[in-house]
Amino acid sequence: MPPRRRRFPTAYWLIAPGVVWMTLFLVIPILMIVYVSFWTQSTFKIEPVLTTRSWEAFFGSDTYVGALWTTIRIWLIVLCTTLVVGYPTALFVGLFVRNKTLSTALLVLCVIPFWTSFLIRVLAWRPMLGKEGAINIILQALHITSAPIDALLFTELSVIIGMTQIYCVFMVGPIAFMLGRIDPNVIEAARDLGAGFFRIFRTIILPLSMPGVIVGAIFVSVMVLGEFATASALSGRKVNMLGNIIVTQVGSLKWAFAAVVGVVLTVLMGIVVAAFLRVVDLKREL
Amino acid sequence: MQAPLIKPALAIYTALFLVFLYGPLLVLTILSFQTGPNGGPQFPIIEWSTYWYRDIFGLTPPSRIAPLPIQQSLTRSLMLASMTMVVSTVLGVLSAQAFRTRFKGSGVVFYLIVLGMMVPGVLVGLGLALVANALGVDRTWWGTAFVLHVVYTFPFAFLVILAIFNRFDASVEEASWSLGVSPIRTFRKVTFPLIFPGVLSAMLFAFTLSYDEFSRTLFSSGRDLTLPLAIYGTFSIEIHPNIFAFGVLTTLFSFALLAVYAILMALSVRRAKRVAVQEES
Repeated sequence: MPPRRRRFPTAYWLIAPGVVWMTLFLVIPILMIVYVSFWTQSTFKIEPVLTTRSWEAFFGSDTYVGALWTTIRIWLIVLCTTLVVGYPTALFVGLFVRNKTLSTALLVLCVIPFWTSFLIRVLAWRPMLGKEGAINIILQALHITSAPIDALLFTELSVIIGMTQIYCVFMVGPIAFMLGRIDPNVIEAARDLGAGFFRIFRTIILPLSMPGVIVGAIFVSVMVLGEFATASALSGRKVNMLGNIIVTQVGSLKWAFAAVVGVVLTVLMGIVVAAFLRVVDLKREL
Repeated sequence: MQAPLIKPALAIYTALFLVFLYGPLLVLTILSFQTGPNGGPQFPIIEWSTYWYRDIFGLTPPSRIAPLPIQQSLTRSLMLASMTMVVSTVLGVLSAQAFRTRFKGSGVVFYLIVLGMMVPGVLVGLGLALVANALGVDRTWWGTAFVLHVVYTFPFAFLVILAIFNRFDASVEEASWSLGVSPIRTFRKVTFPLIFPGVLSAMLFAFTLSYDEFSRTLFSSGRDLTLPLAIYGTFSIEIHPNIFAFGVLTTLFSFALLAVYAILMALSVRRAKRVAVQEES
């Protein structure tokens, strides 16, 4: 065994490449966004002369502030829909299916769609939701509606439907994992003492699955807050999230404005993740 | 459980959930067999054909519909994913190995690494583009985009291998050290074979994540497109079923990749078992 005192330096040598990489290519770029957000923006170029003009432009514009609210609204709605849609499935897979092979197979079945390109998965919603899309055809064939529903595509609704399908698996996975770790004897004992299902659910299952819900919520939040592709593909560019604003601003070489939006997005993300991490210790749950 | 109706109700719900999950992919697959070049990306199917599959490979006569620019972008994406896979797995193994000893600042370093998978792609993409502009560095898919891909996949590799180390019996290593084997040789002969399944999973993660990554790539890759960027380019124009056919093909490719992973995994598990049997006898 190598001498004890040599092991501390060894750990530092091992961790150094990772830390250097993350500092250079993650921390510095984020700091750069903050710095550039105070640069002076003229029509096609930016100069490192510090000013708060871009910030004033952001908070003085209905479009930008509107995008901030849209982002928060869509994030909250998608967080709820993925939870509501995903929880029962996770409950079934993680708790009710006691056969290990079957529950693994069901989870794999949930993950398979992820081996299709994300962008193509987004585009696949267009022939589903369109005026002559699959859902309208089915609804009419079943005589539930007489005319095609127009509001399904190129609205905020289509963005929410698409995001729910794309991100709900990130909710199902962690929750099912947590539920799978519940000792069946605990539930058995509660039942022997005469507790009904809903009481067991409220007092045992729900609290014990909370870490899974939080981890899932972090995944979904992080991904939805930075989204722009789904919003632009399924809303016909009508729904603008902060990500969409960044993309359009960069497209017209307004780097300083884009940086302001970037800082707002970072702050929003930081608040959300920090709030979730206060509830659960991510490092302990892994 | 007690209420007898709950289990079947949840089973039906799960079935519906799977329909919701697979519906768009099913529709996409059906529409990829639409007739071409006049059949559109919507119902009804005018006539079943493999036109759009042939269109991808350039086997159809030229028409007003632009072909998908996949040839070169596919090569770039595969190379980028391979490079990302190797570098992030190496970084992941090194860092996870470091975390087996307690060192000062390990908490901060943990969150620094995990931050890489947390920060929205469009944000780091913008940040690195700004840094590159300020330094006058050209943005390329093999340079600026590559380092960002590693920023994204390295945390996954790190966490996967960390999880393996958590269930690791360190006494074998100590036995090796006490027999006078050097730490590097011990790592190669004892530690690495034991964590090999984790390394394989980390590689699979890194490859597939990088292969499909586009929000980080968008601002950082410069002029030459990677595959996801080529697909993203079709968002702004009218879409045709060739993109659906391409979706089906990439999914099949991913399954092939998954099959290779499964085979390698099965082989390594079998070898581990054989070694264990030899030790017992």
